[in-house]
Amino acid sequence: MSIVPKETIEVIAQSIGITNLSPDVLPAIASDVEYRVREIMQEAIKCMRHSRRTTLTAVDVDSALGLRNVEPVYGFASGDPLRFKRAAGHKDLFYIEDKDVEFKEVIEAPLPKAPLDTEVVAHWLAIEGVQPAIPENPPPEVLAVPSDNGKTAYKEDGIPVDIKLPVKHVLSRELQLYFEKITELTVSRSDSALFKEALVSLATDSGIHPLVPYFTFFVADEVSRNLNKFSLLFALMRLVWSLLQNPHIHIEPYLHQLMPSVMTCLVAKRLGNKFSDNHWDLRNFTANLVASICKRFGHVYHNLQPRVTRTLLHAFLDPSKALPQHYGAIQGLATLGPNVVRLLVLPNLDPYLRLLEPEMQLEKQKNEVKRHEAWLVYGALMRAAGLCMYDRLKTLPSLLAPPARAVWKSNGKVITTTSKKRKASMDNVMQQPPLKKLATESPMGVTLANSLPVDMPGSSSGYPTIIGTADSNLQSSRNENVPESSGRKEMVSGQGPSTSAALTQAWKDDVDVGHLLPSLYEYFGESMLSFVPSPAASFFL
Amino acid sequence: MMHSRDLQKLEGVLSPSHLEEMEFARSLRQSKVSVKICQYSYDLLIQYLHKTQSITMLGIVNERINFQVSPGQPSSISDDADVFTLVGSGHDAADLVNQKEIHWGLLEDSLEERLEKAGDRITDSDKADGEVKDGDLEENKIQPFKFTCIFRLFFVHVQKRSADGGKGGSMQKKLKKDKVVATTGKASRSESSTTSGAPRVKPELTLPIIPTEVEHSILEDLRNRVQLSSMTLPSISFYTFINTHNGLNCASISHDGSLVAGGFSDSSLKVWDMAKLGQQTGNMQFSPVGHYFASASHDRTARIWSMDRIQPLRIMAGHLSDVDCVQWHANCNYVATGSSDRTVRLWDVQSGECVRIFIGHRSMILCLAMSPDGRYMASGDEDGKIMMWDLASGCCVSPLVGHSSCVWSLSFSCEGSLLASGSADSTVKIWDVTKSLKVSKTEENKNGKTNRLRSLKTLPTKSTPVYALQFSRRNLLFAAGALTKIA
Repeated sequence: MSIVPKETIEVIAQSIGITNLSPDVLPAIASDVEYRVREIMQEAIKCMRHSRRTTLTAVDVDSALGLRNVEPVYGFASGDPLRFKRAAGHKDLFYIEDKDVEFKEVIEAPLPKAPLDTEVVAHWLAIEGVQPAIPENPPPEVLAVPSDNGKTAYKEDGIPVDIKLPVKHVLSRELQLYFEKITELTVSRSDSALFKEALVSLATDSGIHPLVPYFTFFVADEVSRNLNKFSLLFALMRLVWSLLQNPHIHIEPYLHQLMPSVMTCLVAKRLGNKFSDNHWDLRNFTANLVASICKRFGHVYHNLQPRVTRTLLHAFLDPSKALPQHYGAIQGLATLGPNVVRLLVLPNLDPYLRLLEPEMQLEKQKNEVKRHEAWLVYGALMRAAGLCMYDRLKTLPSLLAPPARAVWKSNGKVITTTSKKRKASMDNVMQQPPLKKLATESPMGVTLANSLPVDMPGSSSGYPTIIGTADSNLQSSRNENVPESSGRKEMVSGQGPSTSAALTQAWKDDVDVGHLLPSLYEYFGESMLSFVPSPAASFFL
Repeated sequence: MMHSRDLQKLEGVLSPSHLEEMEFARSLRQSKVSVKICQYSYDLLIQYLHKTQSITMLGIVNERINFQVSPGQPSSISDDADVFTLVGSGHDAADLVNQKEIHWGLLEDSLEERLEKAGDRITDSDKADGEVKDGDLEENKIQPFKFTCIFRLFFVHVQKRSADGGKGGSMQKKLKKDKVVATTGKASRSESSTTSGAPRVKPELTLPIIPTEVEHSILEDLRNRVQLSSMTLPSISFYTFINTHNGLNCASISHDGSLVAGGFSDSSLKVWDMAKLGQQTGNMQFSPVGHYFASASHDRTARIWSMDRIQPLRIMAGHLSDVDCVQWHANCNYVATGSSDRTVRLWDVQSGECVRIFIGHRSMILCLAMSPDGRYMASGDEDGKIMMWDLASGCCVSPLVGHSSCVWSLSFSCEGSLLASGSADSTVKIWDVTKSLKVSKTEENKNGKTNRLRSLKTLPTKSTPVYALQFSRRNLLFAAGALTKIA
């Protein structure tokens, strides 16, 4: 009947030294003990309620005892609920583990971490009856099923809780219409006059900034899905171009989303139909687009251009890539400026051309399409190299001073006429690229310290003896480049004996350009001469 | 299980002496239990008892049960409050008590009333004459003010009753058992629409005077008040106590939400200034600005205290078990108490008499709230049930069911149209008072169906039981609770 068995009473009685307890008394005491314990526990529950808690703690029992003027049970008042353990071998026997603790251990133990201090934090539980979706509030999933506590009667109590999203982006009806119209035009009618109008609007309209993320997403999405639809890709690139032109929108934050699609259109293996579509145009266009992006945002995102060039260079240097990809990469690099070409393309020119050559020859490459591609790549390369040289020549008009003319001319003649000597110069160039590559692997600019030994390996032998003895140099050296460079050097020093640092730099560049032309001439033949600026050309021809 | 708690209590009774000792058992034995039964069932029962000659049973039935025979078809037991009133001095006595007259109206000449009047006058005078307006305002300013309404603080304090009784009178403050509601003459907070019809009463206590600047700030707040209704729900600012280590016993928020106080089990009181969030202003003792305050005690009494005496002014005795909460009436002439004996009583402050007994809860009453117009009272119990009472009649107007655990706090919005409840189940619920009042009048017996109309909104917190709720004078709802780890 009673929960407290009389054996318990007996054991407790013995533990406090009462051994002669009559068995008749035991049940009476047991029942009374149970009644008292229940009473105290009910009191303790009240204390728990008053402390605003839902778990009963030892403290509550203590205060219940206190209310009855009973001495509390000492030793159990800890903040945490007690952990009961089940005694092995007994189903209903529980105990609280009470470890023996050495004083020494307690004393020597490092101080425990101080408990965190109580604080108050405020947040909005509801704003005008609506719960905002903030971390302090329960997540929306919980809110969606507010009263799922099994009580069917109150299942549909209350109005369903509606949740405000953290940031609500509102697009006006007009903008939505505009966006729909533009995208529709881009996808389906990109050759109409209306699309041109749309592009103009995109490039000039001041109110379309809210749409930029949508356009970005649209472009990325469409490009990834429609790599074989040439006209669509072209339309998309034109759309991007127009967006970039628009002075009123702030496109920087979305560039990183835009760049992959743009790069895809530049160096993808297949863009549209291989035979019927003129994907070369698209690549050219995109190359310009990339260049304009780099030019405009290069200073904002310092890693933008390096990343672009790295991507392009990878495409260019990977022999397993298809020729159209190479073409795109070369075009891209070319549009990034003559410096990039000079530092990245030219060093690799020779090995690349050797790879390309068999593709271009009728007898070795039977596939006409392939051959056509190879020729186009060759053309692109030529153009890139030529423009680079042109740039060098144009920026350094001084090196085309009259005295140099004779040397150059003679050189030109030498190169074009004597095939043996050409070979020698080839050797020289062959030596250079690896060295140069070494230098250019360190980012971008060629530093002065690096470039000095690199730029003039050929002339180093003549360097100490330069002053005055140009002729001996010319004769003694087996290298065609040396006479040129030493001649120029002489010329420079003749013009301004005070060789300042700036001049040395210029002079070094001269050396570069000096052998640039002949070596390029080597690769591309006569056609290279068309890139020489007209005033300068007269010197050579 | 309706009576599980009672049965649990009675389980402990193992000997006749326990029966004598236990208050609850004694009260059960002294009173008859009312059972509603339909005519047909009643006839069947009596027939059966007579036929089987079960004299003992018949004796018990006659002695203990009071049948209320109703004509018609048998129906399932409705959730009628009357059925469960086992506790206390019985219905008849309660009915007798409830016959007494009470004046539930607001005090005459309250601040709000004055604001309205002033507003009317201003609008009138705008049309007529500017000078008159100035004069009126001037007049308003120099009038002496009789009531204060600054803070309502909950204190938890023990009036330690030493066993020897030697120091029975001295009041030792200790955070534990008893609650003190420091109140003050509450300046009426009500809406013109609801109060215009409400009667006005004279204060029976002499009330302290509010300082002018305080009174100005109140008027300012009243002007800026947001009107709340079932359509326009309040904003709730929630103050979460973290790292309390189970030690927070009670929390309170000042009227403007700038101060948050927490009472801890180590007898400390900490106050946070929310303007400088994160900075604790140090342990300090709020001095209640109100002149009178009431305390509820484990000794089954409630006491009214005054700031200038060490002896209680009134002792309200009558509850059969611990008094767990107290609440002043809006006009300060009455005090309501909620007790573990599952009743709520209303006491006349002047005479100290019990004027109403509200019977209907099935477990310990944990919190009380008075509607600003003074007409209704809400009480929340341990089971999560909230009951709305009409003070005039002493009847329950509507039970509000929805919480799954103890209701710790209740608060009426300033115009009395919404009731907010905070519970141990970590939710704040908003109830529509006006609708629940109307519903109960029209369809009294269809409680189950109308329940969902009354609950306007359930706002769960992450895992923070809601300890305190407080509507500011501008109708912003403040809530506070201690974050607890989910076990």
